[in-house]
Amino acid sequence: MAAPPAVRAGWSGVRPRQMKWLLVAPLFIFFVVFFVIPVGLMLATSFNPSAIGPPSLTFELTVDNYIRFFGRSNFLQAAGRSMLLATVVSFITLIIAYPMAFAIAKTRHPGRNTFLLILVLAAMQLDMVIRLYGLMVILGDNGLINQLLMGLGLISSPAPLMYNLLGVVLGLVQFSLPFMILTLVGVIRGIDPSLEEAARSLGASWWRAFFRVTFPISIPGVLAGSLLVFALSISSYIVPALMGGFRVGVLPIHIYQQVAEGARFQFGATVAVVLFLLSATAIVIYTRIGARRSGGLA
Amino acid sequence: MGRTLPPIILVLAVLGFCYMLLPILVVVMAGLTAGEILTFPPQGLSFRWVAAFLQSDTYLSAFFFSFRLALMTMIVSTILGTAAALFLSRSNFIGRQAMRSFFLSPVVLPGVVVGFSLYAFFIATGMGISRTIWGLWIGHILYSTPYVIGTVGAALASFDVSLEEAARSLGASPIRAFRKVTLPSISQGVQAGSIFAFIVSFGQFEVSLFLSAPNSEPLPIAMYNSMRYKFQPDAAAAGIFAIILVTASVLLTNRLVNIRRLLER
Repeated sequence: MAAPPAVRAGWSGVRPRQMKWLLVAPLFIFFVVFFVIPVGLMLATSFNPSAIGPPSLTFELTVDNYIRFFGRSNFLQAAGRSMLLATVVSFITLIIAYPMAFAIAKTRHPGRNTFLLILVLAAMQLDMVIRLYGLMVILGDNGLINQLLMGLGLISSPAPLMYNLLGVVLGLVQFSLPFMILTLVGVIRGIDPSLEEAARSLGASWWRAFFRVTFPISIPGVLAGSLLVFALSISSYIVPALMGGFRVGVLPIHIYQQVAEGARFQFGATVAVVLFLLSATAIVIYTRIGARRSGGLA
Repeated sequence: MGRTLPPIILVLAVLGFCYMLLPILVVVMAGLTAGEILTFPPQGLSFRWVAAFLQSDTYLSAFFFSFRLALMTMIVSTILGTAAALFLSRSNFIGRQAMRSFFLSPVVLPGVVVGFSLYAFFIATGMGISRTIWGLWIGHILYSTPYVIGTVGAALASFDVSLEEAARSLGASPIRAFRKVTLPSISQGVQAGSIFAFIVSFGQFEVSLFLSAPNSEPLPIAMYNSMRYKFQPDAAAAGIFAIILVTASVLLTNRLVNIRRLLER
Protein backbone atom coordinates (compact mmCIF):
# COMPACT_ATOMS: atom_id res chain seq x y z
CA MET A 1 0.00 0.00 0.00
CA ALA A 2 2.94 2.35 0.46
CA ALA A 3 2.97 5.05 -2.19
CA PRO A 4 6.25 5.77 -3.98
CA PRO A 5 8.27 8.15 -1.81
CA ALA A 6 8.51 10.79 -4.52
CA VAL A 7 4.74 11.11 -4.74
CA ARG A 8 4.40 11.27 -0.97
CA ALA A 9 6.95 14.01 -0.77
CA GLY A 10 5.13 15.83 -3.57
CA TRP A 11 1.81 15.75 -1.78
CA SER A 12 3.13 16.71 1.58
CA GLY A 13 5.01 19.53 -0.08
CA VAL A 14 1.70 21.10 -1.12
CA ARG A 15 -0.12 22.72 1.76
CA PRO A 16 -3.73 21.52 2.22
CA ARG A 17 -5.07 25.01 1.56
CA GLN A 18 -3.49 25.05 -1.87
CA MET A 19 -4.53 21.48 -2.57
CA LYS A 20 -8.18 22.40 -2.21
CA TRP A 21 -7.80 24.69 -5.20
CA LEU A 22 -6.62 21.77 -7.29
CA LEU A 23 -10.06 20.23 -6.79
CA VAL A 24 -11.93 23.11 -8.34
CA ALA A 25 -9.37 24.12 -10.94
CA PRO A 26 -10.37 21.62 -13.69
CA LEU A 27 -14.05 22.57 -13.66
CA PHE A 28 -13.25 26.26 -13.31
CA ILE A 29 -10.95 26.17 -16.33
CA PHE A 30 -13.53 24.16 -18.28
CA PHE A 31 -16.21 26.75 -17.49
CA VAL A 32 -13.96 29.67 -18.39
CA VAL A 33 -12.91 28.14 -21.72
CA PHE A 34 -16.24 26.70 -22.83
CA PHE A 35 -18.74 28.99 -21.13
CA VAL A 36 -17.33 32.42 -20.24
CA ILE A 37 -15.18 32.88 -23.35
CA PRO A 38 -17.84 31.70 -25.86
CA VAL A 39 -20.51 33.88 -24.25
CA GLY A 40 -18.02 36.78 -24.16
CA LEU A 41 -17.23 36.25 -27.84
CA MET A 42 -20.94 36.23 -28.59
CA LEU A 43 -21.26 39.56 -26.80
CA ALA A 44 -18.34 40.95 -28.82
CA THR A 45 -19.76 39.56 -32.07
CA SER A 46 -23.02 41.39 -31.46
CA PHE A 47 -21.07 44.67 -31.67
CA ASN A 48 -19.46 43.76 -35.02
CA PRO A 49 -20.87 45.02 -38.32
CA SER A 50 -23.53 42.70 -39.68
CA ALA A 51 -22.40 40.29 -42.38
CA ILE A 52 -23.50 37.02 -43.89
CA GLY A 53 -21.35 33.93 -43.47
CA PRO A 54 -19.18 32.35 -40.79
CA PRO A 55 -18.24 34.68 -37.96
CA SER A 56 -14.87 36.36 -37.96
CA LEU A 57 -14.33 38.68 -35.05
CA THR A 58 -13.12 42.16 -36.00
CA PHE A 59 -12.17 45.20 -33.98
CA GLU A 60 -14.67 47.31 -35.86
CA LEU A 61 -17.22 48.14 -33.18
CA THR A 62 -20.72 49.34 -33.90
CA VAL A 63 -24.11 49.39 -32.26
CA ASP A 64 -25.91 49.01 -35.61
CA ASN A 65 -27.25 45.57 -34.69
CA TYR A 66 -28.84 46.94 -31.54
CA ILE A 67 -30.27 49.91 -33.46
CA ARG A 68 -31.74 47.42 -35.91
CA PHE A 69 -33.12 45.26 -33.10
CA PHE A 70 -34.75 48.11 -31.24
CA GLY A 71 -35.78 49.94 -34.42
CA ARG A 72 -37.61 47.10 -36.14
CA SER A 73 -41.08 46.50 -34.84
CA ASN A 74 -40.99 42.73 -35.49
CA PHE A 75 -37.97 42.13 -33.22
CA LEU A 76 -39.24 44.47 -30.56
CA GLN A 77 -42.59 42.72 -30.75
CA ALA A 78 -40.86 39.36 -30.42
CA ALA A 79 -39.11 40.57 -27.27
CA GLY A 80 -42.38 41.91 -25.90
CA ARG A 81 -44.21 38.71 -26.83
CA SER A 82 -41.52 36.58 -25.17
CA MET A 83 -41.74 38.57 -21.94
CA LEU A 84 -45.54 38.61 -21.92
CA LEU A 85 -45.68 34.89 -22.65
CA ALA A 86 -43.21 34.09 -19.87
CA THR A 87 -45.19 36.26 -17.42
CA VAL A 88 -48.52 34.65 -18.29
CA VAL A 89 -46.96 31.18 -18.09
CA SER A 90 -45.46 31.92 -14.65
CA PHE A 91 -48.86 33.01 -13.39
CA ILE A 92 -50.79 30.02 -14.77
CA THR A 93 -48.10 27.59 -13.63
CA LEU A 94 -48.26 29.06 -10.14
CA ILE A 95 -52.04 28.60 -9.96
CA ILE A 96 -51.85 24.98 -11.12
CA ALA A 97 -48.74 24.10 -9.09
CA TYR A 98 -49.76 25.59 -5.73
CA PRO A 99 -52.49 23.06 -4.85
CA MET A 100 -50.23 20.24 -6.09
CA ALA A 101 -47.30 21.42 -3.98
CA PHE A 102 -49.60 21.98 -1.03
CA ALA A 103 -51.00 18.44 -1.25
CA ILE A 104 -47.46 17.00 -1.55
CA ALA A 105 -46.15 19.06 1.37
CA LYS A 106 -49.05 18.02 3.60
CA THR A 107 -48.70 14.32 2.76
CA ARG A 108 -47.09 13.02 5.93
CA HIS A 109 -46.99 9.35 4.93
CA PRO A 110 -43.33 8.97 3.87
CA GLY A 111 -43.99 6.35 1.18
CA ARG A 112 -46.77 8.31 -0.50
CA ASN A 113 -44.80 11.51 -0.21
CA THR A 114 -41.77 9.96 -1.91
CA PHE A 115 -44.01 8.46 -4.60
CA LEU A 116 -45.47 11.88 -5.46
CA LEU A 117 -42.02 13.46 -5.54
CA ILE A 118 -40.79 10.67 -7.82
CA LEU A 119 -43.64 11.44 -10.23
CA VAL A 120 -42.70 15.13 -10.30
CA LEU A 121 -39.00 14.40 -10.70
CA ALA A 122 -39.57 11.84 -13.46
CA ALA A 123 -41.76 14.33 -15.37
CA MET A 124 -39.09 17.00 -14.95
CA GLN A 125 -36.26 14.76 -16.12
CA LEU A 126 -38.11 13.34 -19.12
CA ASP A 127 -37.07 14.79 -22.44
CA MET A 128 -39.36 17.72 -23.34
CA VAL A 129 -39.71 16.51 -26.95
CA ILE A 130 -41.38 13.33 -25.72
CA ARG A 131 -43.75 15.22 -23.42
CA LEU A 132 -44.66 17.52 -26.32
CA TYR A 133 -45.35 14.52 -28.55
CA GLY A 134 -47.98 13.41 -26.04
CA LEU A 135 -49.40 16.91 -25.67
CA MET A 136 -49.65 17.30 -29.46
CA VAL A 137 -51.48 13.98 -29.79
CA ILE A 138 -53.95 15.32 -27.21
CA LEU A 139 -54.38 18.84 -28.62
CA GLY A 140 -54.00 18.42 -32.41
CA ASP A 141 -56.77 18.90 -34.99
CA ASN A 142 -57.15 15.11 -35.13
CA GLY A 143 -56.15 14.90 -31.50
CA LEU A 144 -57.91 13.20 -28.63
CA ILE A 145 -59.77 16.27 -27.36
CA ASN A 146 -61.08 17.21 -30.80
CA GLN A 147 -62.03 13.60 -31.54
CA LEU A 148 -63.92 13.46 -28.27
CA LEU A 149 -65.71 16.80 -28.71
CA MET A 150 -66.62 16.09 -32.34
CA GLY A 151 -67.69 12.54 -31.48
CA LEU A 152 -70.06 13.97 -28.89
CA GLY A 153 -71.35 16.42 -31.48
CA LEU A 154 -70.38 19.45 -29.38
CA ILE A 155 -68.37 21.05 -32.20
CA SER A 156 -68.51 20.53 -35.96
CA SER A 157 -64.95 21.53 -36.89
CA PRO A 158 -61.74 20.98 -34.87
CA ALA A 159 -61.05 23.61 -32.22
CA PRO A 160 -57.64 25.24 -32.77
CA LEU A 161 -55.84 24.15 -29.59
CA MET A 162 -52.28 24.33 -30.91
CA TYR A 163 -50.12 25.93 -33.60
CA ASN A 164 -51.12 29.18 -31.92
CA LEU A 165 -50.45 31.16 -28.74
CA LEU A 166 -52.73 28.90 -26.69
CA GLY A 167 -50.71 25.83 -27.67
CA VAL A 168 -47.44 27.54 -26.71
CA VAL A 169 -48.85 28.53 -23.31
CA LEU A 170 -50.14 24.99 -22.65
CA GLY A 171 -46.76 23.54 -23.64
CA LEU A 172 -44.75 25.96 -21.51
CA VAL A 173 -46.94 25.28 -18.49
CA GLN A 174 -46.36 21.56 -18.99
CA PHE A 175 -42.61 22.27 -19.15
CA SER A 176 -42.53 24.52 -16.07
CA LEU A 177 -44.84 22.68 -13.66
CA PRO A 178 -42.24 20.38 -12.02
CA PHE A 179 -39.82 23.26 -11.37
CA MET A 180 -42.56 25.35 -9.73
CA ILE A 181 -43.84 22.39 -7.69
CA LEU A 182 -40.40 21.53 -6.32
CA THR A 183 -39.75 25.16 -5.36
CA LEU A 184 -43.10 25.46 -3.59
CA VAL A 185 -43.00 22.10 -1.77
CA GLY A 186 -39.80 23.12 0.02
CA VAL A 187 -41.24 26.48 1.02
CA ILE A 188 -44.62 25.17 2.18
CA ARG A 189 -43.04 22.37 4.19
CA GLY A 190 -40.77 24.90 5.87
CA ILE A 191 -43.78 26.74 7.33
CA ASP A 192 -44.32 25.89 10.95
CA PRO A 193 -47.74 24.12 11.10
CA SER A 194 -48.36 25.44 14.61
CA LEU A 195 -48.93 28.92 13.12
CA GLU A 196 -51.86 27.65 11.11
CA GLU A 197 -53.09 25.62 14.07
CA ALA A 198 -52.96 28.72 16.26
CA ALA A 199 -55.09 30.65 13.77
CA ARG A 200 -57.55 27.75 13.58
CA SER A 201 -57.78 27.42 17.35
CA LEU A 202 -58.60 31.12 17.55
CA GLY A 203 -61.62 30.39 15.41
CA ALA A 204 -60.41 31.12 11.88
CA SER A 205 -61.84 28.95 9.11
CA TRP A 206 -59.40 26.81 7.10
CA TRP A 207 -59.50 29.25 4.19
CA ARG A 208 -59.04 32.28 6.41
CA ALA A 209 -56.08 30.65 8.13
CA PHE A 210 -54.66 29.79 4.71
CA PHE A 211 -55.01 33.25 3.19
CA ARG A 212 -54.00 35.14 6.34
CA VAL A 213 -51.18 32.91 7.60
CA THR A 214 -49.89 30.14 5.32
CA PHE A 215 -50.01 31.87 1.96
CA PRO A 216 -48.38 35.15 3.05
CA ILE A 217 -45.46 33.23 4.57
CA SER A 218 -44.99 31.33 1.30
CA ILE A 219 -44.82 34.50 -0.83
CA PRO A 220 -40.99 34.55 -1.13
CA GLY A 221 -41.18 30.99 -2.50
CA VAL A 222 -43.99 32.01 -4.85
CA LEU A 223 -41.85 34.85 -6.20
CA ALA A 224 -38.79 32.64 -6.52
CA GLY A 225 -40.71 29.93 -8.37
CA SER A 226 -42.32 32.47 -10.69
CA LEU A 227 -38.96 34.03 -11.59
CA LEU A 228 -37.47 30.60 -12.20
CA VAL A 229 -40.36 29.69 -14.50
CA PHE A 230 -40.07 33.07 -16.24
CA ALA A 231 -36.39 32.45 -16.98
CA LEU A 232 -36.98 28.88 -18.13
CA SER A 233 -39.95 29.59 -20.36
CA ILE A 234 -38.52 32.73 -22.01
CA SER A 235 -35.53 30.58 -23.02
CA SER A 236 -37.41 27.66 -24.53
CA TYR A 237 -36.99 26.97 -28.23
CA ILE A 238 -38.61 23.56 -28.49
CA VAL A 239 -42.02 24.52 -27.06
CA PRO A 240 -42.75 27.53 -29.33
CA ALA A 241 -41.26 25.64 -32.30
CA LEU A 242 -43.52 22.60 -31.97
CA MET A 243 -46.60 23.98 -30.19
CA GLY A 244 -46.60 27.26 -32.12
CA GLY A 245 -45.69 25.68 -35.46
CA PHE A 246 -43.27 28.61 -36.01
CA ARG A 247 -46.26 30.96 -36.07
CA VAL A 248 -45.47 32.40 -32.63
CA GLY A 249 -42.25 34.35 -33.14
CA VAL A 250 -40.33 34.49 -29.86
CA LEU A 251 -36.68 35.37 -29.30
CA PRO A 252 -35.18 31.82 -29.33
CA ILE A 253 -36.88 31.15 -32.70
CA HIS A 254 -35.46 34.38 -34.12
CA ILE A 255 -31.95 33.45 -32.99
CA TYR A 256 -32.15 30.12 -34.77
CA GLN A 257 -33.60 31.67 -37.92
CA GLN A 258 -30.95 34.42 -38.08
CA VAL A 259 -28.05 32.04 -37.59
CA ALA A 260 -29.01 28.65 -39.02
CA GLU A 261 -31.14 29.90 -41.89
CA GLY A 262 -29.68 33.32 -42.65
CA ALA A 263 -26.06 32.80 -41.45
CA ARG A 264 -26.28 36.25 -39.87
CA PHE A 265 -24.10 35.55 -36.84
CA GLN A 266 -23.74 39.16 -35.73
CA PHE A 267 -27.43 39.94 -35.65
CA GLY A 268 -28.21 36.50 -34.23
CA ALA A 269 -25.73 37.29 -31.45
CA THR A 270 -27.56 40.55 -30.77
CA VAL A 271 -30.88 38.75 -30.32
CA ALA A 272 -29.09 36.16 -28.18
CA VAL A 273 -27.59 38.87 -25.94
CA VAL A 274 -31.04 40.40 -25.39
CA LEU A 275 -32.50 36.99 -24.47
CA PHE A 276 -29.51 36.19 -22.26
CA LEU A 277 -29.91 39.48 -20.35
CA LEU A 278 -33.66 39.02 -19.86
CA SER A 279 -33.22 35.51 -18.49
CA ALA A 280 -30.15 36.36 -16.40
CA THR A 281 -31.97 39.34 -14.82
CA ALA A 282 -34.79 37.07 -13.68
CA ILE A 283 -32.25 34.61 -12.28
CA VAL A 284 -30.28 37.27 -10.41
CA ILE A 285 -33.45 38.51 -8.71
CA TYR A 286 -34.39 34.89 -8.02
CA THR A 287 -31.06 34.31 -6.28
CA ARG A 288 -31.40 37.56 -4.34
CA ILE A 289 -34.76 36.52 -2.95
CA GLY A 290 -32.76 33.84 -1.24
CA ALA A 291 -34.44 30.85 -2.77
CA ARG A 292 -32.22 28.51 -0.84
CA ARG A 293 -35.13 26.26 -0.12
CA SER A 294 -35.68 25.44 -3.78
CA GLY A 295 -32.81 22.99 -3.62
CA GLY A 296 -29.67 22.71 -5.66
CA LEU A 297 -31.52 21.10 -8.53
CA ALA A 298 -33.96 23.75 -9.54
CA MET B 1 -53.04 12.82 4.42
CA GLY B 2 -55.90 15.13 3.76
CA ARG B 3 -57.50 15.21 7.17
CA THR B 4 -57.11 18.96 7.25
CA LEU B 5 -57.13 19.65 3.51
CA PRO B 6 -60.34 20.96 1.95
CA PRO B 7 -61.61 18.65 -0.82
CA ILE B 8 -61.28 21.36 -3.48
CA ILE B 9 -57.51 21.56 -2.94
CA LEU B 10 -57.29 17.81 -3.43
CA VAL B 11 -59.42 17.95 -6.59
CA LEU B 12 -57.23 20.72 -8.03
CA ALA B 13 -54.08 18.80 -7.12
CA VAL B 14 -55.37 15.65 -8.83
CA LEU B 15 -56.27 17.65 -11.96
CA GLY B 16 -52.79 19.19 -11.93
CA PHE B 17 -51.17 15.77 -11.74
CA CYS B 18 -53.31 14.66 -14.69
CA TYR B 19 -52.12 17.63 -16.72
CA MET B 20 -48.52 16.91 -15.81
CA LEU B 21 -48.63 13.16 -16.47
CA LEU B 22 -51.30 12.61 -19.14
CA PRO B 23 -49.02 13.51 -22.09
CA ILE B 24 -46.51 10.90 -20.90
CA LEU B 25 -49.25 8.26 -20.67
CA VAL B 26 -50.43 9.24 -24.16
CA VAL B 27 -46.94 8.66 -25.57
CA VAL B 28 -46.95 5.14 -24.13
CA MET B 29 -50.41 4.51 -25.59
CA ALA B 30 -49.44 5.95 -28.99
CA GLY B 31 -46.40 3.70 -29.11
CA LEU B 32 -48.45 0.63 -28.29
CA THR B 33 -51.50 1.32 -30.46
CA ALA B 34 -52.54 -1.16 -33.11
CA GLY B 35 -53.76 1.59 -35.46
CA GLU B 36 -51.89 4.06 -37.64
CA ILE B 37 -52.48 6.92 -35.24
CA LEU B 38 -53.74 7.08 -31.69
CA THR B 39 -57.52 7.41 -31.69
CA PHE B 40 -60.02 7.72 -28.93
CA PRO B 41 -60.98 5.09 -27.90
CA PRO B 42 -57.71 3.25 -28.71
CA GLN B 43 -57.76 0.58 -31.40
CA GLY B 44 -56.09 -2.12 -29.37
CA LEU B 45 -52.67 -3.13 -28.26
CA SER B 46 -49.77 -4.12 -30.51
CA PHE B 47 -46.02 -4.09 -30.56
CA ARG B 48 -45.80 -3.22 -34.27
CA TRP B 49 -44.44 0.29 -33.61
CA VAL B 50 -41.98 -0.98 -31.04
CA ALA B 51 -40.78 -3.43 -33.70
CA ALA B 52 -40.69 -0.59 -36.25
CA PHE B 53 -38.54 1.46 -33.86
CA LEU B 54 -36.17 -1.44 -33.32
CA GLN B 55 -35.74 -1.73 -37.08
CA SER B 56 -35.67 2.00 -37.85
CA ASP B 57 -32.29 3.41 -38.81
CA THR B 58 -33.07 6.95 -37.71
CA TYR B 59 -34.44 6.40 -34.23
CA LEU B 60 -32.41 3.42 -33.18
CA SER B 61 -29.10 4.99 -34.17
CA ALA B 62 -30.21 8.27 -32.54
CA PHE B 63 -31.08 6.35 -29.38
CA PHE B 64 -27.64 4.78 -29.19
CA PHE B 65 -25.94 8.05 -30.15
CA SER B 66 -27.70 9.71 -27.20
CA PHE B 67 -26.82 6.81 -24.93
CA ARG B 68 -23.13 7.02 -25.84
CA LEU B 69 -23.08 10.82 -25.51
CA ALA B 70 -24.82 10.59 -22.12
CA LEU B 71 -22.28 8.05 -20.86
CA MET B 72 -19.36 10.22 -22.00
CA THR B 73 -20.96 13.27 -20.38
CA MET B 74 -21.69 11.38 -17.17
CA ILE B 75 -18.07 10.33 -16.69
CA VAL B 76 -16.60 13.81 -17.05
CA SER B 77 -19.41 15.58 -15.17
CA THR B 78 -19.15 13.18 -12.25
CA ILE B 79 -15.40 13.64 -11.86
CA LEU B 80 -15.32 17.41 -12.35
CA GLY B 81 -18.53 17.99 -10.39
CA THR B 82 -17.55 15.83 -7.40
CA ALA B 83 -14.16 17.52 -7.13
CA ALA B 84 -15.76 20.97 -7.33
CA ALA B 85 -18.42 20.03 -4.76
CA LEU B 86 -15.63 18.89 -2.39
CA PHE B 87 -13.92 22.23 -2.81
CA LEU B 88 -17.15 24.17 -2.27
CA SER B 89 -17.93 22.28 0.94
CA ARG B 90 -14.40 22.53 2.37
CA SER B 91 -13.18 25.93 1.35
CA ASN B 92 -14.13 29.02 3.25
CA PHE B 93 -12.94 31.57 0.74
CA ILE B 94 -15.18 34.57 0.33
CA GLY B 95 -16.32 34.04 -3.26
CA ARG B 96 -17.48 30.49 -2.55
CA GLN B 97 -21.20 31.22 -2.85
CA ALA B 98 -20.63 33.19 -6.06
CA MET B 99 -18.60 30.34 -7.48
CA ARG B 100 -21.34 27.86 -6.64
CA SER B 101 -23.92 30.05 -8.39
CA PHE B 102 -21.57 30.36 -11.35
CA PHE B 103 -21.30 26.58 -11.69
CA LEU B 104 -25.06 26.11 -11.31
CA SER B 105 -25.97 28.93 -13.72
CA PRO B 106 -26.07 26.96 -17.02
CA VAL B 107 -29.16 25.08 -15.81
CA VAL B 108 -31.27 28.23 -15.90
CA LEU B 109 -29.64 30.15 -18.75
CA PRO B 110 -31.03 29.78 -22.29
CA GLY B 111 -29.66 26.58 -23.85
CA VAL B 112 -30.13 27.92 -27.36
CA VAL B 113 -27.92 30.91 -26.54
CA VAL B 114 -25.20 28.80 -24.92
CA GLY B 115 -25.36 26.28 -27.78
CA PHE B 116 -25.11 29.09 -30.31
CA SER B 117 -22.17 30.75 -28.57
CA LEU B 118 -20.32 27.40 -28.41
CA TYR B 119 -21.09 26.78 -32.10
CA ALA B 120 -19.72 30.20 -33.09
CA PHE B 121 -16.73 29.68 -30.76
CA PHE B 122 -15.87 26.31 -32.35
CA ILE B 123 -16.06 27.84 -35.84
CA ALA B 124 -14.14 31.01 -34.94
CA THR B 125 -11.31 29.12 -33.22
CA GLY B 126 -11.12 26.53 -36.01
CA MET B 127 -11.33 23.68 -33.51
CA GLY B 128 -13.11 21.57 -36.09
CA ILE B 129 -15.64 20.15 -33.64
CA SER B 130 -18.57 22.44 -34.44
CA ARG B 131 -20.99 19.70 -35.48
CA THR B 132 -19.48 16.56 -33.96
CA ILE B 133 -20.08 14.44 -30.90
CA TRP B 134 -17.11 16.22 -29.24
CA GLY B 135 -18.78 19.61 -29.50
CA LEU B 136 -22.02 18.14 -28.16
CA TRP B 137 -20.03 16.53 -25.36
CA ILE B 138 -18.68 19.90 -24.21
CA GLY B 139 -22.13 21.51 -24.31
CA HIS B 140 -23.69 18.64 -22.38
CA ILE B 141 -20.99 18.69 -19.69
CA LEU B 142 -21.88 22.35 -19.00
CA TYR B 143 -25.51 21.39 -18.43
CA SER B 144 -25.00 18.12 -16.53
CA THR B 145 -22.26 19.08 -14.05
CA PRO B 146 -24.50 21.42 -12.01
CA TYR B 147 -26.71 18.43 -11.11
CA VAL B 148 -23.68 16.52 -9.85
CA ILE B 149 -22.59 19.52 -7.77
CA GLY B 150 -26.09 19.82 -6.28
CA THR B 151 -26.40 16.14 -5.42
CA VAL B 152 -22.86 15.57 -4.14
CA GLY B 153 -23.05 18.88 -2.27
CA ALA B 154 -26.13 17.55 -0.44
CA ALA B 155 -24.27 14.36 0.48
CA LEU B 156 -21.27 16.34 1.72
CA ALA B 157 -23.47 18.63 3.80
CA SER B 158 -24.42 15.66 5.98
CA PHE B 159 -20.87 14.27 6.16
CA ASP B 160 -18.90 14.87 9.32
CA VAL B 161 -15.53 16.33 8.29
CA SER B 162 -14.01 15.45 11.63
CA LEU B 163 -13.96 11.78 10.55
CA GLU B 164 -11.60 12.64 7.73
CA GLU B 165 -9.54 14.84 10.05
CA ALA B 166 -9.27 11.92 12.47
CA ALA B 167 -7.89 9.70 9.69
CA ARG B 168 -5.41 12.43 8.76
CA SER B 169 -4.25 12.87 12.33
CA LEU B 170 -3.64 9.12 12.53
CA GLY B 171 -1.18 9.52 9.68
CA ALA B 172 -3.24 8.85 6.55
CA SER B 173 -2.27 10.86 3.48
CA PRO B 174 -4.96 13.27 2.21
CA ILE B 175 -5.70 10.96 -0.71
CA ARG B 176 -5.87 7.86 1.48
CA ALA B 177 -8.09 9.61 4.01
CA PHE B 178 -10.39 10.69 1.20
CA ARG B 179 -10.50 7.24 -0.40
CA LYS B 180 -11.02 5.29 2.79
CA VAL B 181 -13.22 7.64 4.79
CA THR B 182 -14.89 10.40 2.78
CA LEU B 183 -15.59 8.64 -0.52
CA PRO B 184 -17.40 5.62 1.00
CA SER B 185 -19.79 7.86 2.89
CA ILE B 186 -20.62 10.13 -0.04
CA SER B 187 -20.49 7.44 -2.73
CA GLN B 188 -24.26 7.11 -2.93
CA GLY B 189 -24.58 10.83 -3.50
CA VAL B 190 -21.93 10.60 -6.21
CA GLN B 191 -23.78 7.75 -7.89
CA ALA B 192 -27.07 9.63 -7.75
CA GLY B 193 -25.36 12.69 -9.20
CA SER B 194 -23.95 10.66 -12.06
CA ILE B 195 -27.40 9.26 -12.85
CA PHE B 196 -28.74 12.82 -12.98
CA ALA B 197 -25.90 13.80 -15.29
CA PHE B 198 -26.73 10.89 -17.58
CA ILE B 199 -30.45 11.68 -17.76
CA VAL B 200 -29.96 15.42 -18.25
CA SER B 201 -27.63 14.73 -21.16
CA PHE B 202 -29.93 12.06 -22.60
CA GLY B 203 -32.90 14.45 -22.70
CA GLN B 204 -30.98 17.58 -23.66
CA PHE B 205 -32.50 19.43 -26.60
CA GLU B 206 -31.78 23.15 -26.51
CA VAL B 207 -27.98 22.97 -26.34
CA SER B 208 -27.87 20.21 -28.94
CA LEU B 209 -29.87 22.24 -31.46
CA PHE B 210 -26.91 24.22 -32.85
CA LEU B 211 -24.30 21.55 -32.17
CA SER B 212 -25.64 18.40 -33.85
CA ALA B 213 -25.04 17.29 -37.42
CA PRO B 214 -27.81 15.94 -39.68
CA ASN B 215 -26.47 12.39 -39.88
CA SER B 216 -25.50 11.90 -36.25
CA GLU B 217 -28.16 13.35 -34.02
CA PRO B 218 -29.16 12.73 -30.43
CA LEU B 219 -32.65 11.23 -29.95
CA PRO B 220 -34.47 14.47 -28.97
CA ILE B 221 -33.22 16.20 -32.13
CA ALA B 222 -34.15 13.23 -34.34
CA MET B 223 -37.65 13.13 -32.82
CA TYR B 224 -38.02 16.87 -33.22
CA ASN B 225 -37.04 16.72 -36.89
CA SER B 226 -39.63 14.07 -37.63
CA MET B 227 -42.35 15.73 -35.52
CA ARG B 228 -42.11 18.94 -37.50
CA TYR B 229 -43.69 17.16 -40.44
CA LYS B 230 -45.79 14.28 -39.20
CA PHE B 231 -46.51 12.07 -36.24
CA GLN B 232 -44.94 8.69 -36.54
CA PRO B 233 -45.90 6.14 -33.92
CA ASP B 234 -42.39 4.67 -34.06
CA ALA B 235 -41.20 7.99 -32.56
CA ALA B 236 -43.60 7.30 -29.69
CA ALA B 237 -42.13 3.81 -29.39
CA ALA B 238 -38.69 5.43 -29.07
CA GLY B 239 -40.27 7.64 -26.42
CA ILE B 240 -41.39 4.58 -24.46
CA PHE B 241 -37.80 3.40 -24.17
CA ALA B 242 -36.75 6.87 -22.98
CA ILE B 243 -39.60 6.90 -20.44
CA ILE B 244 -38.48 3.49 -19.11
CA LEU B 245 -34.89 4.74 -18.86
CA VAL B 246 -35.87 7.92 -16.98
CA THR B 247 -38.27 6.12 -14.63
CA ALA B 248 -35.66 3.48 -13.82
CA SER B 249 -33.08 6.19 -13.18
CA VAL B 250 -35.31 8.15 -10.82
CA LEU B 251 -36.24 4.97 -8.93
CA LEU B 252 -32.56 4.07 -8.67
CA THR B 253 -31.75 7.58 -7.44
CA ASN B 254 -34.40 7.14 -4.78
CA ARG B 255 -32.68 3.97 -3.59
CA LEU B 256 -29.34 5.76 -3.38
CA VAL B 257 -30.30 9.03 -1.72
CA ASN B 258 -33.30 10.39 0.13
CA ILE B 259 -35.11 12.22 -2.67
CA ARG B 260 -37.23 14.15 -0.21
CA ARG B 261 -34.21 15.55 1.53
CA LEU B 262 -32.38 16.20 -1.72
CA LEU B 263 -35.22 18.24 -3.21
CA GLU B 264 -36.16 20.18 -0.13
CA ARG B 265 -32.75 21.18 1.03
